[in-house]
Amino acid sequence: MLLNKITNISKLCGLYLNKLKISTSATAFREVEDRRLMLRSMPALDEGTAGEKAIEIDSHLYEKSGLFPDLDTPNKLFNGIPYKELPIFNVRVSKNNTILTMSDSKGVIKLTRSCGIEGFKNTKKGTNIAAQATAISIASRALEKGFKTVRVRVRGLGPGRMSAIKGLQMAGLNIVSITDSTRVSWNPPRPRKQRKL
Amino acid sequence: MRHASFIARTVFVQNNDVEAACRLLNRILGREEILDQFRRTRFFEKPFQFRRRINFEKCKAIYNEDMDRKIQFVLRKNRLDPFPGCS
Repeated sequence: MLLNKITNISKLCGLYLNKLKISTSATAFREVEDRRLMLRSMPALDEGTAGEKAIEIDSHLYEKSGLFPDLDTPNKLFNGIPYKELPIFNVRVSKNNTILTMSDSKGVIKLTRSCGIEGFKNTKKGTNIAAQATAISIASRALEKGFKTVRVRVRGLGPGRMSAIKGLQMAGLNIVSITDSTRVSWNPPRPRKQRKL
Repeated sequence: MRHASFIARTVFVQNNDVEAACRLLNRILGREEILDQFRRTRFFEKPFQFRRRINFEKCKAIYNEDMDRKIQFVLRKNRLDPFPGCS
């Protein structure tokens, strides 16, 4: 009798289990179905170019103020050194890394530091914090060597663009000028194909 | 074409205000569409994308021109004191 009942119950359980389905409500509660839609709804990545879209009334203010180089700029003295003989800080910014080199006025490299050398690995290399730390470390090395007044040349877009320059200044370097040397062409060779999202 | 380095695209830092100099440089680069071109040439732009972009830019330019004209029309004035009560 008892044994019979147990077998009955186990049969019932088996029936019940056959009808069970695993269902989740995750798809219903998800806000966007499509991955592309989701990507589009995300905020745009910071490309490290503050002030790009800024609108200010300028023009005539800049003419007098000496913001831009002119004919006698190369011979102008900064801290006793003519502008053309100031050491150069090259900042190479990309999406995944920031490389800083210091060279003299002829382009001979004196110091090199990158976020990877600094100890930031993988995705951490391409952050503004890494760029700033790297800039501070290379700038302190430059100060040890006795370079105080420098000009900065930036190439590329990325999160480290502003913060690297800021780091150089924070370490105590006297930055005379900032130059952009991003390589831009209006008739470039065919670039690589677009990334799939 | 290559430009003389440290002459072209150069901004001097004044009163040790690096951030302002950076902003000015970025603004100039943005306005001259140098950064846009840089971003556009990272990956190949397919012909259909090129066509769509050019058509969009054309439409935008026409709209902006018209809108500027309308704004100028609304703001037009011919008074001795152009802004009465504001002096």
